[in-house]
Amino acid sequence: MSAVLADMPETIAPATSKAIAPSKGGRPWTFYVLATLFAAYVLALYGPMFCIYILSFQDIRGGLVFPMKGQSMHWFVDLFTQVRTGDVKGSFDRSIKLAVIVTVITVVVSFLAGLGFRRRFCGDTFVFYMTIGSLVAPGLVLGLGTGLLFQALGLNASWYTSALGAQLSWTLPFGVLVMFAVMSRFNHVWEEAAYDLGASRWQSIRLVMIPVLAPGLVAVALFGFTLSYDEFARSLQTAGSLNTLPLEIWSMTLNVTSPSLYALGTVTTIVSFIVIGASLGTIVLIQKKRGSRTKG
Amino acid sequence: MQPSSTPSRSNLAGWLYISPLVLVLVPFFVAPILVVLAASFFATDGFGGLTPGFTLASYVEVLHSALTLKLYLATIKFTVLTWIFTLIIGFFVAYFLVFHVRNQLLAIGLFLLCTVPFWTSNIIRMISWIPLLGKEGLINQVLLSTGVIRQPLEVLLFSDLAVVIAYVHQLTIFMIVPIFNSMARIDKKLIEAAIDAGASRFDIMRLIVVPMSKSGIALGTIFVVSIVMGDFFVVKVMSGGGSASVVSAFYEDVGVLQYPTAAASAVLLTLVLVAIVSLILRTVDIRQEITR
Amino acid sequence: MKNDRGDIELAGVCKSFDGVTNVVDGVNLKIADGAYCCFIGPSGCGKTTILRMIAGHEDPTAGEIVIGGQNVVGLAPAQRRTAMMFQSYALFPHLTVRENIAFALRVRGMSKADRLRAADAMIEKVRLTQFADRLPAQLSGGQQQRVALARAAITEPRVLLLDEPLSALDEQLRVQMRQELRRMQQELGITFIHVTHTQLEAIALADLVVVMEQGRIKQAGPARDVYAHPHDRYVAEFMGGQNVLSGRVEKVNGASFTLAQAAPSGIEVPLQARPTVSVGDKVDIAVRRDDVALVRPGKDLPPGCTTSLPSRVLAIEYQGYFVKVMLDTVPDDQFVAYVPEKTFFADPFTVGDVVMATWATGSALPLA
Repeated sequence: MSAVLADMPETIAPATSKAIAPSKGGRPWTFYVLATLFAAYVLALYGPMFCIYILSFQDIRGGLVFPMKGQSMHWFVDLFTQVRTGDVKGSFDRSIKLAVIVTVITVVVSFLAGLGFRRRFCGDTFVFYMTIGSLVAPGLVLGLGTGLLFQALGLNASWYTSALGAQLSWTLPFGVLVMFAVMSRFNHVWEEAAYDLGASRWQSIRLVMIPVLAPGLVAVALFGFTLSYDEFARSLQTAGSLNTLPLEIWSMTLNVTSPSLYALGTVTTIVSFIVIGASLGTIVLIQKKRGSRTKG
Repeated sequence: MQPSSTPSRSNLAGWLYISPLVLVLVPFFVAPILVVLAASFFATDGFGGLTPGFTLASYVEVLHSALTLKLYLATIKFTVLTWIFTLIIGFFVAYFLVFHVRNQLLAIGLFLLCTVPFWTSNIIRMISWIPLLGKEGLINQVLLSTGVIRQPLEVLLFSDLAVVIAYVHQLTIFMIVPIFNSMARIDKKLIEAAIDAGASRFDIMRLIVVPMSKSGIALGTIFVVSIVMGDFFVVKVMSGGGSASVVSAFYEDVGVLQYPTAAASAVLLTLVLVAIVSLILRTVDIRQEITR
Repeated sequence: MKNDRGDIELAGVCKSFDGVTNVVDGVNLKIADGAYCCFIGPSGCGKTTILRMIAGHEDPTAGEIVIGGQNVVGLAPAQRRTAMMFQSYALFPHLTVRENIAFALRVRGMSKADRLRAADAMIEKVRLTQFADRLPAQLSGGQQQRVALARAAITEPRVLLLDEPLSALDEQLRVQMRQELRRMQQELGITFIHVTHTQLEAIALADLVVVMEQGRIKQAGPARDVYAHPHDRYVAEFMGGQNVLSGRVEKVNGASFTLAQAAPSGIEVPLQARPTVSVGDKVDIAVRRDDVALVRPGKDLPPGCTTSLPSRVLAIEYQGYFVKVMLDTVPDDQFVAYVPEKTFFADPFTVGDVVMATWATGSALPLA
């Protein structure tokens, strides 16, 4: 060994001064640079959103920009009572209902697809790429196609038929991708152990797979709900005569120039945060109950 | 005796499990695409009525229009700019979270902090730039009061700049998540081994971190490119009508019931998108990437 | 038709995953009811596949698997009345110890009160009562193993199949759990089939040791037979503790033959089980490492030793109760002597010393 090294001294240059010295517990300079970048990113991410939340609490004199003019709930009341802002309450109602339906279907269908995709079978790659295609296709084009299809078939477009399907073409690919990641962490030996102990296929799904995968299924549900609740491009040509909430917001951005718009932003964000909080809370609760942190 | 995994039996079971997925995707993805494709060959009476038939007139019209080139150039400009910014920000944010935050619980917490806005309304996040970037917005107010400028900057809102800002704001998360995922799988010992061998920070980045995050970058790129190229909403609102993209022109065409030309331009766009995505897919096996 | 016999017969069992190569290639074996059988071999030798075929998690491509006189090929795992203890246990992470153990009873539709009572009795048997309400993640490795054992045993299987049950444990615990496995086996009185790649584990536990290579059984028999009387070079080398030498037969005389070697005297080997040796044959022989004695050149050989090979000491490893001395006795194979500690230190060698390696002629074993 030493002979080998002695033979080739000229090929090994001494380490450059840029070589990293062992850290002495302090942070390298890159930490501070990147931490600043990260802080700036988070600020840019949340800052504008908080601006409109704050501005939505102005009083009747309020405008679209700072400075803040008074404090009141005026624009929230205005939002739900004024005809000129459109049917906010109804669209809100529809969006929630639609999101719940989409969530349930997304969870069930993605879970089943996740089960199916665990094994390779003839045609699986085709279906997988079809799913990816559904994800990357321009939403507006798909929406128009769906709208034309319903028209050609003589069906009425409505939020619970054509828009539901159009939204599923958006939420399902996400659900399937998340399910892929979730399934890859499922040790198939658990399933085999269940069979070994006499469980039927359904019992092993009900008693082993679903409880073990519960956090992942909640994540799929979160994707399903929030993506549907926020879906716009695919719903535009498919929702029929009654608007969903994002469509309502869209029409408001075009013709409402009062803080009502911001008030609506605040309200929908509160709903989103409740859903996110509930989902993440559920996942944390499940993990905690599993006691994966403590060792006996 | 047959082996347990008889191909036909496992094929049947596989199709049974994914049949609900197929039953949704066929009518709501495959059929609409085919409808658009069919419509692009139809003739129109100019009032929204379609005459079944086969004509390439719409394609000729789209391809001969000087507007088409302009729209594609604008779309590509937005896509490239957004891609560069989201990639740089996304890469370094993920790098920071994976390699610089030592407490793993904190890293996951910060990661979630980045993802939360993804689950809130995109439209609201976009219009939330108005009180900041507007002519009387916060940025102009600050710049005016500090004397940096005398006239309010008008390029901030309703401009290409505003469009790119809104895209980056919305889409950086699509870079962070996959890059974070692939970086988190890099064994920290590899970095230590590189340091041991005398590598500089730049060497580590160039020789280890970037190559090993490639699949995450590819996945993020697919998301960002396909969303920007398919968008019309951000362009329409944030440019104040000043700019247009392929899909926003499509939207206008649909608005005036020019279905065949709209469909032809949509088909062309889809082809471009498919080409780009399959080019990226050649470098990464998404399915393996996610399940690994 | 309740049949409690746990004797197993494998007849011509083959398994191929790709239709080209056989992972298991024509295995024939009989395992008596209530025996403790260990399958041993390097990874990829097909031992786990055999276990999984007995359990019903794989179907053989050809052959029969007979348990208690009944061909079980095609039956579901639970119908075979076998139970499997999985490598790294596969305990359900969301269920407590009690619920894990009661799982098999739950899926059989037993009432909650009954199954928890039965589970508690089993928990007591494996001494886990105080941990009954813990989740698997809150248990140590040894405790997890006991849960896995209890979960498998609660259905009163006639055969328990253990896939590398001790590999997840550290050395000390492994020895301890080894005894526990043996105790459980005797207590339950059922057949245990245990797959391992650790020689010590196999010979410490098993009534029947089955050595495998590339899908075939190389040797099956009681632990002592397999260790002390390996059939061939593969088994001798795999089970360890043997030096394997090869050479051409120089002459055959009566009850022994002589193997040509670098040494002037050659190596005298008793014929034993190989009466058909003739001059010129290439033959492998095995000599146990603890049978080799080392003598300084010029000194008398111990009684009964006719062969002595001049060797140089290559390395010395202190092992506690013996000293491992590595020698250059044979050119291509390694040659090792296990010298008792007291003998070695009475006249210690150092690396580079020349010694004569010798052994009692009767302890040399011709291999197939």
